[in-house]
Amino acid sequence: MTTAPAGFWARRAIIAVMAVFVLAPLLLIAYQSFLTAPFFDPKAQLSLWAYDFVFAEADFWKALTTTTALAFGMTAIAVPLGALLAFLLTRTDIPARHWLEPLLLAPIFMSPLVLAFGYIVTMGPVGFLTLWWQSYFGEAPWNIYSFAALVIVAGLTHAPHVYLYASAALRALPGDLEEAARVTGASPARVALDVSLPMIMPALLFSGVLILFLGFEVFGLPLIFGDPQGLLVLSTYLYKLTNKLGVPSYQLMAVVVMVILVIALPLVFVQRFLLRTAQRFVAVRGKAVRTNLVALGAWRWPAFGLIFGWFFVTILVPMAGLVLRSFVSSWGLGITLADVLTLDNYIELFDDAEVVSAIVNTIGIAVIGGALSIACYTVVALAQHRWPSAWAKFADYLIMLPRAMPGIVAGLAIFWVFLFTKPIAGLRTTLIAVWVAYTLVWLAYGMRLVQTALLQVAPELEEAARVTGASVVRAMRDVTLPLIRHGMLAAWLLILLIFVREYSTAVYLLGPGTEVIGSLVVSRWNGGAVDLVTCLSCINVALISCGLFVALRFGVKLHG
Amino acid sequence: MLASVAGSADAQSVPAGYPAEYAQIIADAKKEGSLTVYATTDAKVAAPLIKDFEALYGIKIDYNDLNSTELYNRLIAESAAGTGTADLSWSSAPDLQIKLAADGLALAYASPEISGLPKWAVMENMAYGTTYEPMAIIYNKALVPAEDAPKSHKDLTKLLVNKTAAYKGKVTAYDPERSGVGFLMMNRDVKADPSSWELFKALGAADIKVYTSAGAMIEKVGSGEHLIALNIFASYGLLSMKKNPNLAMFWPSDYTLIATRVAFIPAKAKHPAAGKLFLDYLLSKRGQAIIAKGELFSIREDVDGKETAKKVNEELGDKARPIPVSRELLETLEQSKRLEFLNQWQAAVKK
Repeated sequence: MTTAPAGFWARRAIIAVMAVFVLAPLLLIAYQSFLTAPFFDPKAQLSLWAYDFVFAEADFWKALTTTTALAFGMTAIAVPLGALLAFLLTRTDIPARHWLEPLLLAPIFMSPLVLAFGYIVTMGPVGFLTLWWQSYFGEAPWNIYSFAALVIVAGLTHAPHVYLYASAALRALPGDLEEAARVTGASPARVALDVSLPMIMPALLFSGVLILFLGFEVFGLPLIFGDPQGLLVLSTYLYKLTNKLGVPSYQLMAVVVMVILVIALPLVFVQRFLLRTAQRFVAVRGKAVRTNLVALGAWRWPAFGLIFGWFFVTILVPMAGLVLRSFVSSWGLGITLADVLTLDNYIELFDDAEVVSAIVNTIGIAVIGGALSIACYTVVALAQHRWPSAWAKFADYLIMLPRAMPGIVAGLAIFWVFLFTKPIAGLRTTLIAVWVAYTLVWLAYGMRLVQTALLQVAPELEEAARVTGASVVRAMRDVTLPLIRHGMLAAWLLILLIFVREYSTAVYLLGPGTEVIGSLVVSRWNGGAVDLVTCLSCINVALISCGLFVALRFGVKLHG
Repeated sequence: MLASVAGSADAQSVPAGYPAEYAQIIADAKKEGSLTVYATTDAKVAAPLIKDFEALYGIKIDYNDLNSTELYNRLIAESAAGTGTADLSWSSAPDLQIKLAADGLALAYASPEISGLPKWAVMENMAYGTTYEPMAIIYNKALVPAEDAPKSHKDLTKLLVNKTAAYKGKVTAYDPERSGVGFLMMNRDVKADPSSWELFKALGAADIKVYTSAGAMIEKVGSGEHLIALNIFASYGLLSMKKNPNLAMFWPSDYTLIATRVAFIPAKAKHPAAGKLFLDYLLSKRGQAIIAKGELFSIREDVDGKETAKKVNEELGDKARPIPVSRELLETLEQSKRLEFLNQWQAAVKK
């Protein structure tokens, strides 16, 4: 195979640049884990002290066990549920299909911190749903501070991730097999289990590993739910470590991140392996097959009820709590809501100059920053595209790495990189730093979106261009890119929403001019401004809903 | 008042009682033109101070509202990077501030306002206490019967011992393990009254719920999920009482810890003269009067009003236990001592 020199060097250069961006913060963390003091402290010495300290902590092992149980527990809930949702929405004649899909994805775009707080207002020990239940049925059967509740909520809110992959896989498969099964008299459940399920098994396994992976770094939910019981997972244990010694001890934090990485790397490996087999299924060859929907018959409404039930518990319950809290001055036992309704929280909110610029910045970084990020992801994806090489494989691993760092640590590391790299130090106090942090943290997610779009372009088309003499670069520019236009638009939309939601990453970059809603929420939550946090979160959710609505109106398909 | 009249009439003139050389600092600060503040005080609460200072000197303030850990992280990293850092560090975590000063990250500067401050509030002409905030106990007065309502730490211990079952899971405090403020306060509780361990034991028996943020505690006392919260900054308490009439707050009558927000000028400040000017302003009668109005409690005995050291001391008599701005606090950051205290705490509450 002869490769045009331009493409040859461009591919390597692009992957090298990405490697620098991914590895700089990561290596800094790795280096930090072997020091006795902050890496910029002249007294810092190489040592294994931090590892000894962390491994000797009972809390660490407790947190590790809890995290593992949480990761597996939520995977066990999210994968079957996500698969079922995908089957119902892509393959059956369930009512209101077109309305359901955007709703289904909503949890991906909502900050878990905010959701968790909403649950406390509705289903906490004195939440209004709990009080209502108690007034009719006695003691409420749930305790949202329990580990079980944490696993269930984490599982329910992560189901949409599985849904995304499973539905993409289902859409890519012709429906004739299912039709055949249905015609010969199989029930919808049989069709789902015996025909559809085996076909999308690779996609399910793939997303299962992803959920497991995400399970090791969930932060917002355990932070709020685990607070009163002192329930620790690795990411909240990081916080505890910081305070246990009184002063932030980066080396200890770094050790925990290294542990998460050591767990995550094999998962990435498994995922790569699964994807290799999965690609056999995903490839679509130009020919569009019209899929006939499986008729659910009597199961239509129960199936709809199931989706609605999931939606009720996962979105409506916490959102109701959140919205309610934003319109009252107080709530709970012995308080009549009618007496405390107020608009003051919102009025005060807009008095706050920081809040106003946070809202403006958030929109800016989501709309413009999101587009730029997609551009970067596309460049990297094209560099890897149809290039079976060690470089491309290396890039695949790199892409997953930033996700293994909890957002707040990634943010801190990026803060350091900007601070200690003289030529770019000036950018630290600008939104560019926030954008770099976001782009890096969501690299895996965004790349997957772009790669999915790329995979849908049949290689024949690119090969045709190459055979007629076009260079690799030219073939990509004139054939591949125009073909994935719509996929990229959808990817931009999804990244935009994710950027609006993102909360912990920018905390260390927060300052005049770089405020974004997410980091302001985290920062003010620590300061006790519950009114402000809930209002700001409601605004954030409203922004996300608007974005989703506008995009769907303009015909952006969530699937390319 | 005099200073303010003089100030607005001619910003260049040296405030009353300041040495004549101060004119140079003012001139330098004006040349610098702006200053950056890293602070844990809400931007909104600090806004009147900033506005007044900007009007007085025509020097712009970039105000960064951070939490105490973020503030510490930024300051040490920026000081090490040599890119320059904030011109005033103002934090409600006195132990971290003193650690920074002791590590050489603060500029030595004798403020002309020193004479107006209590002795315990100044550390080696570097770090200055700026507020006088009682650590209060808040409770939900709609749900705690009047006969149960405690007045002191001792009352609370008694209440929890006598009515353990009724208050099970209903009392809350900062987690000393997960919150720096929480650790410091419990440590000072024990210093102020060694019998605090009995209170901690009673808290443990009543299955205390510990948190990392005051907001979560106040919110949950307000909603009735919990009933009583310990060691809440009075400034937070006052704000939330305005919103929720069910909340009540008191200074414990046996002893009340007094916390102060500690300010210093970082050694690597980009605009040190402007930093000095703002520090002096913050400690001045004029600045302190605004602090009192903002519910942060003025530290100066010569400032009148409800939220002032004067008023708090009138109420508390000799029961005020200020947490000193001194190297004494470094002890709480010593690893072995810290872990030992935490082990004792664990044993007391038996979690």
